[in-house]
Parts: sequence; structure tokens; C-alpha cells
Amino acid sequence: MISNTKIVGAVEIGTTKVTVLVGEIARGRELSIIGVGEASSRGVIKGAVMDFKAASEATHNALLAAEQSAGTRVDEVYLAQTGGHLEGFENEASVNVAAADNTVSAMDTDTVCRLAMAKELPEGRIVVHHIRRPFRLDGRLVPDPEHLVGRRLDVSYWTIHGLESKVADNTHVINGFSVRVTKLILSSLASGALITTAEERHNGVLAIDLGGGTTDFALYRDGCAHKTGVVAVGGGHLTNDLALGLRVQQGQAETLKLRYGRGTVHARDKKDKVMLIGDFSIGDREFPRLTIEQITAARVWEIFEVVRQKLGASFAPEKIPAGVVLTGGTAKLPGITEAAAKVFGTSARLGEVPAWIGENLRDPGYATALGLLHFSLNAQTDRATAPRRSLLSKLFATA
Amino acid sequence: MSKATATPFARTWQDINQSVNPRAMSKVSRQRRLVYTLKFAGIAGVLAIIVWGTVEIAETMGSNPNKLGLAESGPPLKDIALTTDGVLDHTWAERTLTLPKNATLMSLDLYALRTRLLAHGQVKAAVLTRNFPSTLAVAIQERSPVARVQVQVGDASPRALLVARDGVVFDGKNYDPALLGTLPWLDGVKLVHVGDGFAPIDGMDAVADLLATARNQAEHLYRTFEVISLARLASDGELVVRSKDIPEITFNTRDDFFRQLARLDYVLDLARAQPDKPLKSIDLANGLQVPVTIDTVARLQNSASASAPGAGLFPLPNSTHIAQRDF
Repeated sequence: MISNTKIVGAVEIGTTKVTVLVGEIARGRELSIIGVGEASSRGVIKGAVMDFKAASEATHNALLAAEQSAGTRVDEVYLAQTGGHLEGFENEASVNVAAADNTVSAMDTDTVCRLAMAKELPEGRIVVHHIRRPFRLDGRLVPDPEHLVGRRLDVSYWTIHGLESKVADNTHVINGFSVRVTKLILSSLASGALITTAEERHNGVLAIDLGGGTTDFALYRDGCAHKTGVVAVGGGHLTNDLALGLRVQQGQAETLKLRYGRGTVHARDKKDKVMLIGDFSIGDREFPRLTIEQITAARVWEIFEVVRQKLGASFAPEKIPAGVVLTGGTAKLPGITEAAAKVFGTSARLGEVPAWIGENLRDPGYATALGLLHFSLNAQTDRATAPRRSLLSKLFATA
Repeated sequence: MSKATATPFARTWQDINQSVNPRAMSKVSRQRRLVYTLKFAGIAGVLAIIVWGTVEIAETMGSNPNKLGLAESGPPLKDIALTTDGVLDHTWAERTLTLPKNATLMSLDLYALRTRLLAHGQVKAAVLTRNFPSTLAVAIQERSPVARVQVQVGDASPRALLVARDGVVFDGKNYDPALLGTLPWLDGVKLVHVGDGFAPIDGMDAVADLLATARNQAEHLYRTFEVISLARLASDGELVVRSKDIPEITFNTRDDFFRQLARLDYVLDLARAQPDKPLKSIDLANGLQVPVTIDTVARLQNSASASAPGAGLFPLPNSTHIAQRDF
């Protein structure tokens, strides 16, 4: 008898840490998170694998820890993909409805979709996602044009592509654990699907995942991802800025960032000092709180500015009534939502994970991995609910 | 209308070769794969054994179902193969076991049959084995009789029973009467009823040692032993033998029987040289000193002038010399 349970691993190979969640999907519609594994990331810079061996060891340690925590082996992996090499473009296609009575058939939708997806990429680049936007039938938005009447059917795709070598490196790290990658999902789409609701995505919302090495964003409109992008700047740069600006070591800068860093400048008194360690021991020093906040806020502001620039004309505050939703480890910085609100000129809030997720996984750092599990559940549900075509109908369809 | 097949699709991430390169595996991953392989091999092995066993059973049942049928429905018992170190024979075994007709090997209760054999005192140990298809093998170790004892229970006529070295009293079967006639009688023992028989007699190992030494080293003396009394064994550690010539010969169980027999032989040799002094008793229980009692009544009958003493000591040479005396 074939088991109704599938064990899925959600893996995010980040710049600062590798996160693995193990989910058990029962009967294609019930998800239980049964295992967690984490490891400090090594060999990964700005979301891209630079030292394959070190990255493999860190990832495999996290996978093994998650498997041991779950008490079972992972059947398949949903892998998050990020990195500055990822780019996207829009490709449109349109067809005239073939039927004499102008009723849109499955063949019309297939044709227009294939046309929209058919675009060659430069050498060495590979497609990561084809995100279909809603169909337009004679100019009106329709989620499913089949059986509707119209003359012209339009569709556009947001195609995300990246360097084949870097995508392959990411995939091969997982393959080295003797597991196949079932689906590669953009980090911003994974986290965005979790922290935003379907209604927000329909109305328009901007999801930003501030990671350690990269900042991923996804602009949703009409219920689907309209534009995505990756900025190769993340929380690690805040730490680096503090280390350079205050002339402290990276570890000390990280401590200062976590304790006193802010997304907006809050301190007013230049004499307000904070201690590096706090116990007046050898090496303990004091720093102006205002300086720390200025350094971190400047970088945060810059990140949001870059995101806004990358969104370009697609972004307008009035087009995203649901505002900006922030997640990722760096989103825990106090005042970061105010910074986002100022830069984007709209409301901003921290993303919240669904209520059914346990307390230990509610940290924004788990948003991407949880989003991957969300995708895996949807994929299983799609498979489970997909109508089974009989052999006869297949024969007619191919005729 | 555009043609969908006109433009080739770009490569997607799904075109990436995901075959596992062993060199891409970390140490952790290799260990995980090894554990998985071992587990898989173990489970596969167990399954293979189960399948093999099932096939074997199926084949056996298919070819000859009788092989797996109950043994009770097998062929009837044909023979009893008796092996013994004594005198019991096949007839005795059949009579004792009283196996039912048409009994099969598996229907036999070997434990009960063994108990039945051991109920005879002559049987010391018994091993019963099923030799398929139809033979019951019986291996018996028998007790050897050391002496005889006269038993009379109630008004019944007295009967002679045999006594083994371990003190077990039994009714000897299949022994040569001439052989039994050479066994001395026991005296001074109190038999205790236990069930259908008697409790083992204490001290028989000393009697057996004395008789064995006498039979092996001085058979001419052994042949004269008629009765051995155990009356003083418990109290004094002495065995009193009545022989054809001497009414009372006392042996000490604490000393070497061989030396005592040597002294006895010596004393008897001396006594034979003095036929006018018939001996009534010889006490070998005092080491080199062997007090003897002369039968004065017989002596008076033999000689009118009875001037010799009624008791005396025979001078014995060096004890070592006696011990090496060649019978």
C-alpha cells in the first residue's frame, strides 16, 4: 500500500545560517512540522555558495539535525533560492481566440501561456520561476478565461532567472545529502506567501525579507507576484558598517547591532553612551547610542531605497493598499517599520506567521522556511485535487 | 496567431542534473547513506529469509504434505533397539515398557517410559530416543550386584534380593544363578520400606570396596566369604565377615583393605600350619596387632591335652613386607 504521508524538507541556505524544517504532509492536505534543524552557515556569501565543501557540511549538519529531530528521513526538499544574480523580466503574449463562436478553449490558454514563457535567455542563465499574471480577455482581467467569450486573450509572465552555475551549486549541496530538490522557490516568494494574506496579495502588498546577506522582495498585485527582486545587501552589512564606523570587531559590532541598532534614529542626546560589554572589564568601551543608530538607520534606509529603485515604475504607494510587510532576521531591528513607511510612503508592519505555527518558530528568521512548507502543502494539495484524466480523454486531447 | 512552437523554451532549473556525485557528499552525508544502506540491507536480508522460508515450506507441502503431517499419524513403531552394559534383554524391555499396539513414535511419552524403566532398581540410568521413522532406541546403564540380602515381608516366604554399590536393593533379572551364588550375604542391616521397594542401604560402598579388593587381589579368600555384617559399621566402622573357615573376621573400614586382607592371608597361612589350633575369630581392625581367638571347644575335641591358651597374638613380620605379599 502506498503511504499517504510525505516527509518534506524545507531548506534555506542563508548567508548567516542554514535553516531546515521537516514537515509531514498527510493525505495531501494536512501539514505538521515535525523537525527543526539549524546550523551556522559557512561558505555562503550574499546568498551564493562560494565554498562548496563548507556550505555542504553546514547544510548537511542542519539537515541531519532536522531528520534526527523529526525521527525520520526526508523524502524531498523544497529549496529557497536567493542571490544577487537573480533577475526578472516581464514577457507578454496575446492570441486571437481560435473558435468560431469566440469561446476560449484550453488550447487558447495553453498557446498564449507557451508564447509568453518562450523567450531565450543569455548563455549561462536559467529560469527559476515563471510567474503568470492574470489573463486579460479583451482587456478585462479574468482569472480563468476558459469557456468565456472574447476575441483576444493576453497574458504576461514575470520570469525570474539566475546564473545556472549558482543555482546548480545550491541544488548540488542538497543532492550531496542524497536527496533531490523537488522545487526551487525564490526566497521572497516563500516568505511573502506566508506573511501576507490572499486578500492583501490581491489588493497589492510589498513583502520584504531582510536576511543576513540579501534582501528579497516581492510585489504582489491582483493576487500574484507582480515583480520580485534581490538586493545583495542585508543585516550583515549593518554589522560591517558598525565594525568600520566604530572600529570594533565583527562580533562586537554584531552585539552592538542586536542591542542598540535601530531602523530609525531615536536617540537625541549625543552624550547618551552605551557600553560594549557592560561590566567595565578589559576591552569594554562606550559608544554614543546616537552614532550606532545613525549607522544602522542609514544602511536600512539605503536598503529600502534600493528596493524602491528596483521596483521602479511598478511601485506606487497607492497600488499597494496593504502596505509593506517586513520579515527576516533583520526585520527584528526596532524602528525598521517606521523607516520602511517613510521610504515607501505607505504603511509598514512586521509580518506575522499564521497562528497555528508553534511559538518556537514564530521568529521572523523562520519565515522563508515556513513559506517553503506552505508551498509544499499547496503543491501536494494541487496534486491531490487535480482531476484524473482517463486514458480515453488523453487520447482525444492529443488527437 | 503566433505559433507556440516557434520559439524554444529557455532552460529551467529542472534541467540541472541532480544525480548524486559522491565527491559532493559531506562526511555527515556519507555516514547517513551508510546507515541507510545497512538498514536497507538488513531489512532486505530479513525479507529474503522470510520469502525463502515461505517458498521452502510451500514446496515441501506441495511435494509431500505427509512430511509436515502430524507424526502421530506416521507409521507405527516397529522395533525397540536396546543397548545395555548389563544383562537385561530385549524381552525384558518390551515387557517393562508395555507399549500399546500400533503406537507411533511421536505418540510415545518418553518421560513416562523412562520413569517406568527406572522403577526397576537394576536400571541405573536410561536414555530413550526416537529414531525415525519407527524405532525406539533404549540405552540402559545397569547396577552391578555386590551382595545379596535375604528379605522376608510378613508371612511371605523369604526371598533373596541383590544390593548394588550405591546401596540400592533390587530384584535381579537375567543373572546367572551360579554367579549370584558367589555373592556373600548381608547381615546386620535394617531394611526400610519405601514405596514398593526398600531404601538404599548405607555403607555399601565400604562393603563393595572390601569385596572388590578381595575378589581382585585374593580371590581364594573372597570365595570363602559367606556373610558380611554391617552391624558394627555405623558405630565402630567395622565390617565383620563370616567365612567358611573363620566365624568372625573383623575389618576396619578406615584402613586399607588390601593390607588387612594380606594380614588375613598371612594369619590363615600360619593357622593352617597349626591345625591343632582352629581359629574362632580374627580381628584385623588394630593395625599390625591381629588378635585371634582360638576355638577352644574344637581344640578340646581335637586334643585331649588342652594346655594352650584360649587367645593369643600371631607374630607378624614387617607391615610393608605384608603389604607386598603376593597372593
